[in-house]
Amino acid sequence: MADQLLNPDLLRRLEQFQLLARRRSKSTAKGERRSRARGQSVEFADYRPYVAGDDLRYLDWNLFGRLERLFLKLYEEERELPVRIFLDASESMAFGEPRKFDFARQVAAAIGYVALCGFDRVSVIPFPEHPEEAAWRGGLRAVRGRKSAREFFARLSQLAAGGPAIFNEALRRGALEARQTGPAVVLSDFLDPAGYEPGLNALVGRGFQISAVQILAPEELTPTTYGDLRLVDAETGDLREVTFGRYRLKAYQQTVANYCQRLREFCRARGISFFSVNSETPLEQLLLKQLRQAEVWA
Amino acid sequence: MGLGTMNFLSPFAFAFAAAIPVVIVFYLLKRKRVVKLTSSTVLWRNFLAETQASRPFQKLRHNWLLVLQLLLLALAILALARPYFPGETRGSRLRVVILDASASMQSTDAKPSRFEKARAEALRWVDSLRDLDQMVVLLAGAHTVVKQSATSNKPALRRALELCAVTDSPTRLGEALRLAETLIKNQADAEIHLFSDGATPSLAEFENKNLPLVYHRVGERCRNLGLVAMEVRANPENAAQRAVFASVYNPMTNAQSAELELQFDGQTVEARSVTVPPTNTLPVLFLAAQSRDGLFTLRLNTPDDLAADNQVSIVSLLPQPVKVLLVTRGNRFLEKALRGAPQVELSVASSLAAPATGFDIVVLDDVTPAVWPAANLLAIHTQPTNWFGPLANVEVPPIVDWKSAHPLLRYVGFDNVQVREALAVKTPAWGMALVETPRTPLIIAGEVDHRRVIWLGFDTLQSTWPLRISYPIFMANAMEWLNPANVNAALLAVKTAEPFRLVMAEPPAAAQVIRPDGQVASLILPPKTTEIVYGDTTRQGIYTLKAGTNRVVFCVNLMDAAESANAPRPEIALGKYATAAANTRQRANLEIWRWIAAAALLVLMFEWWYYHRRTV
Repeated sequence: MADQLLNPDLLRRLEQFQLLARRRSKSTAKGERRSRARGQSVEFADYRPYVAGDDLRYLDWNLFGRLERLFLKLYEEERELPVRIFLDASESMAFGEPRKFDFARQVAAAIGYVALCGFDRVSVIPFPEHPEEAAWRGGLRAVRGRKSAREFFARLSQLAAGGPAIFNEALRRGALEARQTGPAVVLSDFLDPAGYEPGLNALVGRGFQISAVQILAPEELTPTTYGDLRLVDAETGDLREVTFGRYRLKAYQQTVANYCQRLREFCRARGISFFSVNSETPLEQLLLKQLRQAEVWA
Repeated sequence: MGLGTMNFLSPFAFAFAAAIPVVIVFYLLKRKRVVKLTSSTVLWRNFLAETQASRPFQKLRHNWLLVLQLLLLALAILALARPYFPGETRGSRLRVVILDASASMQSTDAKPSRFEKARAEALRWVDSLRDLDQMVVLLAGAHTVVKQSATSNKPALRRALELCAVTDSPTRLGEALRLAETLIKNQADAEIHLFSDGATPSLAEFENKNLPLVYHRVGERCRNLGLVAMEVRANPENAAQRAVFASVYNPMTNAQSAELELQFDGQTVEARSVTVPPTNTLPVLFLAAQSRDGLFTLRLNTPDDLAADNQVSIVSLLPQPVKVLLVTRGNRFLEKALRGAPQVELSVASSLAAPATGFDIVVLDDVTPAVWPAANLLAIHTQPTNWFGPLANVEVPPIVDWKSAHPLLRYVGFDNVQVREALAVKTPAWGMALVETPRTPLIIAGEVDHRRVIWLGFDTLQSTWPLRISYPIFMANAMEWLNPANVNAALLAVKTAEPFRLVMAEPPAAAQVIRPDGQVASLILPPKTTEIVYGDTTRQGIYTLKAGTNRVVFCVNLMDAAESANAPRPEIALGKYATAAANTRQRANLEIWRWIAAAALLVLMFEWWYYHRRTV
């Protein structure tokens, strides 16, 4: 199952990466990430005066020898990093050759795999929600441990694209539902008629470390159908009458570039890492170069 | 006051309405859109918002459609302004267009022919007329026909010009110019436009008229050989043979060769190659046996520009003995001369009491008949007639002039003829004076009451003429000229545009003419008329007249050297000093808005095509 999403060679290379967290983990579960919490690990963090009831094993006897005061040695607690992947599974993602949704699933699988290898908790949140998938979608939530990767991939492969994306609603709900914040990856074409700003703002406001990956189909970047067209929106049924020819191709491409540029600037202003890719882009280029350069992982 | 019927000066402009369905079709084509399912219309919505007018004004960008539409608008406005090239005159003007329809206009040096080219040029003149200008269309063949009286109705003028047809007749521009002169009299700004090749007889009568004549020359070169004369006579040396005389005219400046073919009733008798010296006429003589009445046709096989003069036909009837009654008190000279004339069966009488119905010719020698004969007449010194006014006598009239070109005076001279006494008369309207003295004509020939008459005003025995060789020759000529068979034969060959006349013994019930092109024309005859006149002989060829039980074949031939000389004249001479030079410049207010409108239409079509090409 994993072979269908990511090839073994790529998996092997991904095993070397580790997600970089800009903030310390706020998770309560044990893991391998540094956190602000004090607990049991080998990493010394601080001293504090002894109060009655403290574990005598952590007293610093050397310091007591010099100062004759009891101090307790504090160690950093290592906790897990919760990684959330918001996956756009709307009808518009089913377009393109190769399909945008397939590309998005591969990226989600790769990020998830990196997180699982780093003993982090991965949650994939596909939107919109399909009631028929609700039964097994739970298998994509809070996945931990490398051994869960196979099932994780299987669940991802089962996902299908369809229905209207309610982008902002999905992200807002995702932001509210999260008990701990951490890295959040948004995989979408960002072509929701209602816009993308409220959703991303909700994530930013909750304190997520966001990476936004915009996936567009080649047909959307360079349309190949000319003439007098009546365009039907696959998600909303919206109609647009357009007279399009080669002579307007440049103008169209400029429009797309403007749209992406606005999105990019929006993201930069909020500290969001933004990537815009074509579904034809080789996966390795995005995973091994762009994400690495942007220090999503190292 | 009621409103008059609305008219259109340029009704054919409604033809532009044909463009309306085309535009509608274009719109129909445009409405058809291809439905396409797309992932999202967000980008397209942005695209439309950015490319369509979101603000009232946008930066003017280079767009060929815009350029084409501006051009279209400019052309349409220009056309509505009805521009024209300025002319030299103002107000209502009259243009008299004379279209030469003579045979030489059939020359094909100008394609398709000179006449068609002249017509096309005249049609262009119609287009150039201003709204109030009037035009008259005259067709000048052998007779001038007013094809369209003065009007500014362009469709009528165009129709009149299109109905004009070229003829095989000689040019008679004088009549057309006289008519045109009458039409433009008292017109302040009038012009006569003559579309011709200029091959016309003298127009000296217009020398001092100061006609506003503009000569539009058509034709480019002279390349022609033509048959200008043909005659069939008995061979004087062999009675069984016929002599066919013909003249081939070469108006060109280099010698020309051609094959001349003689046919009798469609069968080739003889073909001969002839070479005609430059600007010269070559006489040709054929001798052919003839056993029955028939049709001699001469054909000139040459690839020249003018085909109308390459064939001539003549009806030839076998010579019949002519019965002559000589009424005389005794004149041995006359009797001997008449007996010496060919084909004459002479009877002699001393007086005439009966109408002499059995005779073809009656010769009255100084006698007055009790009953005037109905046959052709040679009247010598016959006094009491009603042909002249009061008669007087003149003593020893000196002969000063005679018309040697007349067939009666062929080989006849009066150099040493003296007349002692002659009757003094005035030349009557019916005849022509052949021999003249200062006070009176001596010999008059003409036609009275459908019969030929030769009148001699002196007693031949009272002159030296019977002793001269010219006397028997004249008598022989007279017998030939008066011979009704010859008269009829002469009537059977008419020149183009001259009427054919035939006198019947009884009034025919109906008459039809079969024209050379096979068309049958029924003649409307006045009741009880014995003379049939058929005037529509503008095309040369062989005509057949059917009247009752009679069937008469007659030939119409051009035989006109002036037409055969088809070189286009650089100018038309009006007498010795005045000329009208060929005009190459058009002085007219040429309205061009139609062309501009047509160009605008083309631009519109191109714009649509361009627009649709870009969207595909």
